[in-house]
Amino acid sequence: MKPFRIIIGAALATSLALGATAAQPTWSAADLKTLHGLWIGELGPPPPDPSNRVADNAAAAALGGMLFSDKRLSANGQVSCASCHQPDRAFTDALPTGHGVGVGNRRTMPIAPAVYSPWQFWDGRADSLWSQALGPVENPVEHGFTRLEVARRLAAQYRDAYESLFGPLPDMTDHGRFPLRAAPVGAADARAAWAGMTADDQVSVNRVYANFGKAIAAFERTLKVRPGRFDDYLARVFAAPGPQARLSSDELAGLRLFIGKGQCATCHNGPLLSNNGFANTGVPARSDLPTDPGRAVGVRAALTDPFNCKGAYSDAPNRCDELEFVVVDSPAQVRAYKVPSLRGVAQRAPYMHAGQFSSLEQVVDHYSHAPAAPDGTSEIKPLDLTADERRQIVAFLRTLDERPAPSPKPR
Amino acid sequence: MPSFSSAPRRSLVRHALCGAALLATVVFAGSAMAEPKGLDLSLDRPSDQGVFRVRIRSQAAPIPMSRVHQWTVHLTDKAGLPISGADLTVDGGMPEHHHGLPTAPRATPVGTPGDYVISGLKFSMRGWWEMKLAIKAPDGRADRITFNLVL
Ligand code: HEC
Ligand code: HEC
Repeated sequence: MKPFRIIIGAALATSLALGATAAQPTWSAADLKTLHGLWIGELGPPPPDPSNRVADNAAAAALGGMLFSDKRLSANGQVSCASCHQPDRAFTDALPTGHGVGVGNRRTMPIAPAVYSPWQFWDGRADSLWSQALGPVENPVEHGFTRLEVARRLAAQYRDAYESLFGPLPDMTDHGRFPLRAAPVGAADARAAWAGMTADDQVSVNRVYANFGKAIAAFERTLKVRPGRFDDYLARVFAAPGPQARLSSDELAGLRLFIGKGQCATCHNGPLLSNNGFANTGVPARSDLPTDPGRAVGVRAALTDPFNCKGAYSDAPNRCDELEFVVVDSPAQVRAYKVPSLRGVAQRAPYMHAGQFSSLEQVVDHYSHAPAAPDGTSEIKPLDLTADERRQIVAFLRTLDERPAPSPKPR
Repeated sequence: MPSFSSAPRRSLVRHALCGAALLATVVFAGSAMAEPKGLDLSLDRPSDQGVFRVRIRSQAAPIPMSRVHQWTVHLTDKAGLPISGADLTVDGGMPEHHHGLPTAPRATPVGTPGDYVISGLKFSMRGWWEMKLAIKAPDGRADRITFNLVL
């Protein structure tokens, strides 16, 4: 596109954005390219996960769905994945940091967008959904459970479903060989019990534990990110079939700031409004929590995780491009956190990796001031947004609200 | 193919043209970035100091978005003689967004004279990317080259 036409297009759009009525603005060619990339219509099926043989198996998803909300998989019988990842709150919990058996140091993340991401957790310390699922179960402040207890639960409650997918469970009746409660991490008694097991028995329990994660991952892969009014607006811009909508002049101005002056789309791009990368954005550290170096430590943990893509429990240890070519030891990884999807963001306060901000207004103020990072270097330069501009960005973010889930079919 | 712009009404165009000069600064600050004009998009050209000639090509077409993939490199000297056994270091990023590559790609020889493969490249968004190669031939000659990709 010639610069002359860009000027016309953009000036036209600007004059329309300034004007009150809802005539459709004309976007520049570069704008349209960015906007097309943000459209949910661009979101294909989840990328394949060859490390999980049952990733797209319906029976595995059904089993995973039951495990996801089974509270018996916890030390006190009261915590399931769904306790924190609540289906009616976009799989989050409206808390600054997660509450399980105890209180954690990080904020609960939505699940549906994670299905598209090569790295899990705020620091990306897991390289697949299935290896991610193994973390919370043995985390003393989340489920506070152990992998041996998981294996026993599967044997007692889910044997048929499990065995038809993964083959026979080990015979765990000999409590000398298979203690009731044992894990290589977590509480001292559980670690001591684990250390007393033979290497072969440890491997067979690890295999069951990995399969447990793979079934949960299969369930998570069925969760859908739902479109919002923003997508209906883009459907209108791109003359696509389906519902179409206009945006208000504030919302349009906010969108223009988001892809322009605000440079938000540098990181929040693609149909999930995340590049699935990690960035230090100078989010303040919470003084009541331990030091958190973010991705700098997370990447090391992913590389040494026995349940990673290259490990003994992976179904495709030779197809691990992300792990194989991961960036390590970069100064940019200090206090860098996963760029979150902004789909439905207004519907799930609070924000940031430890719930540092309670409203979108506070988030946008943060970007406007761009304080220095508590450690490492923030990638954000001060934007000095006016009060109007801040309001407009928030108005735009609300157009990403997800449409309600289709109600279950009446019987 | 969806149509990207609705036909603007004439009066609006005139109105916009009048305001264009005034608005130009605002406009450019307020739009998504377009890559600079006149970028050399050639993927087959001499290195910075003319020491080598380098040709690169994505093994996947079109160049995939957000997926790790491979490129092939063909390296020759000025005269077109293939150079094997060179050391290639890959770097790059998005100059307008001040970020590097999201992965750490590596170049390795493939066996045929002058041929290498770059594994582990990933582009995480559309726009202007640079791919930089630092090249060191076995005889000590060294040079660099920066390719521009607009995705
Ligand atoms: C006590 C609350 C709690 C429980 C229980 C819990 N989670 Fe989480 N979940 C979190 C928190 C907090 C994070 C972020 C943790 C971090 O980054 O260190 C998270 C992160 C995740 C992520 C990463 C999302 C992303 O985008 O990276 C997934 C997937 C996930 N949890 C799934 C599960 C599954 C599956 C279970 C059950 C096996 C589970 N969670 C149990 C609180 C919880
Ligand atoms: C350099 C990359 C980058 C840029 C540019 C950027 N963000 Fe972010 N954004 C992030 C990261 C990383 C986080 C999470 C940071 C954390 O938790 O410490 C985040 C978090 C957020 C959140 C909170 C989401 C949640 O679930 O907690 C919102 C809202 C947000 N950004 C909006 C914006 C807006 C609006 C802009 C432009 C003014 C912007 N971002 C620019 C990387 C970026």
